[in-house]
Amino acid sequence: MKIRSSIIGLICLLIMTSGLFAQNKDENISPQRKQAIDSLALEKVRDLSKYISIIGNKSTPWSESQRVIERAVELFMENSEIGVSSLSKPDVAYFKVREYFDRLMKLNYDRVNIDWYKIQYVSDLERQPDGTYVGVITIYQRFQGFDKEKGLIYEDTTKKDITVYVKRKETQIGGRLIGFWDVLLGDIRVKETSK
Amino acid sequence: MTGIVQKIRSLQWQHFVFILLIAAVAIGSDGCKTTGKLSKKERKAQIEMAKKQLSEIINGTSTRPLEAQERTVNEIANKHFKDPELDKMIEDARQVLKKAFAERDKLKQEKIDAARAELLDMLLNKDDKSADELESELAKIKAMNLGDKDINDLIAKVEQKIAGMRNKKNVPLKNQLENSFQGIADASKSGNANQVMSLTKGTLQLFSSDDATVLIIISKEGSIVDYDKPTTIKRYLEFVRDQKASRNAVDSYRLDSGGKIKDLDLIKK
Repeated sequence: MKIRSSIIGLICLLIMTSGLFAQNKDENISPQRKQAIDSLALEKVRDLSKYISIIGNKSTPWSESQRVIERAVELFMENSEIGVSSLSKPDVAYFKVREYFDRLMKLNYDRVNIDWYKIQYVSDLERQPDGTYVGVITIYQRFQGFDKEKGLIYEDTTKKDITVYVKRKETQIGGRLIGFWDVLLGDIRVKETSK
Repeated sequence: MTGIVQKIRSLQWQHFVFILLIAAVAIGSDGCKTTGKLSKKERKAQIEMAKKQLSEIINGTSTRPLEAQERTVNEIANKHFKDPELDKMIEDARQVLKKAFAERDKLKQEKIDAARAELLDMLLNKDDKSADELESELAKIKAMNLGDKDINDLIAKVEQKIAGMRNKKNVPLKNQLENSFQGIADASKSGNANQVMSLTKGTLQLFSSDDATVLIIISKEGSIVDYDKPTTIKRYLEFVRDQKASRNAVDSYRLDSGGKIKDLDLIKK
């Protein structure tokens, strides 16, 4: 009886220890690995900026815009929202990601230029108790709306904060255990809008 | 006898020579008369022969090339036989030949048009034929000897393409993939949608399926390898096109039994 309980105890200890090791493996990420993850999250934001340019571009075919919208939506966590501001309105309107992209595609201008720049962390990725890394990346968005006859009719610059969530996951692919970092964007909040 | 001899002697040699000359002229003119009779016969025979040749041309039974037939008609016409029936046949033969030349030109043009279309298809290679298949088709077109400048130019271009395809085969797969990724990014940047499509199609053919896994290594530290979220080759090529940039190099790949890539590992450049 004593032997049996000792074996069970030993197994429990082993399981607990391996769990701790697994946790440590993620907790004690070397600066090099951390830098790679930071870069990955920044890259996802840059990817989004390209998608936004394509969706906003009036010469992008409808089917192509739809495909790109799908790719852009996949970058976000479910139910995330994107803020929209205007120089003429004091309030910021928030839309679900897909709705935001649909509206972006249908903007009432003949031509639209959207550029994101100064993409950088304002709050570094920090590990949360559940193992998810959370950080905030800020971007500046230059928006220009053109009319065929009048030329540039609206422009503004908006500072936006994007929350990023990064979590390590594992999957089996072709018999290999792959550890990957899943980067998802959260809400995009408008911080300030200026001319 | 003596009288005769004396008479001969009495003849002046000048007279004798004169008589001889007259005789010779007479004989000669008689000979000419004989030749004139033969010439008529010959003329008749020649006209008959000409009619026979012209009939073959008019009836379309001549097996000789059109150019040779035309030469024959001109030779007959240049002899000016002044035979009304023959003249009519010459005219008929000329009409027949004119029609035949026009028909031949039309056929040749049709062949040129068909060959041009085929060569342009080969350049685009929409059906993704191999270099060997293209070469075999090209050989058939070359064998037609169409002698058309445009066709010859297109043949040269297809030959170049085939050579390019053969050279490509010798390029390591890693380089082929990286060149394709960069090519798609560059073509997308310059707004060349056709090239993007063509390169994408060509690259997908190197894979066992559009859904072949693509993993992107973001960091390697000892035995720990960190990846980006797994994707597929189709999605990855779309990503390169959308981002207009190729940021990853080929790290490794695994092939299936058919020699196609079943999964690909990329690494951040």
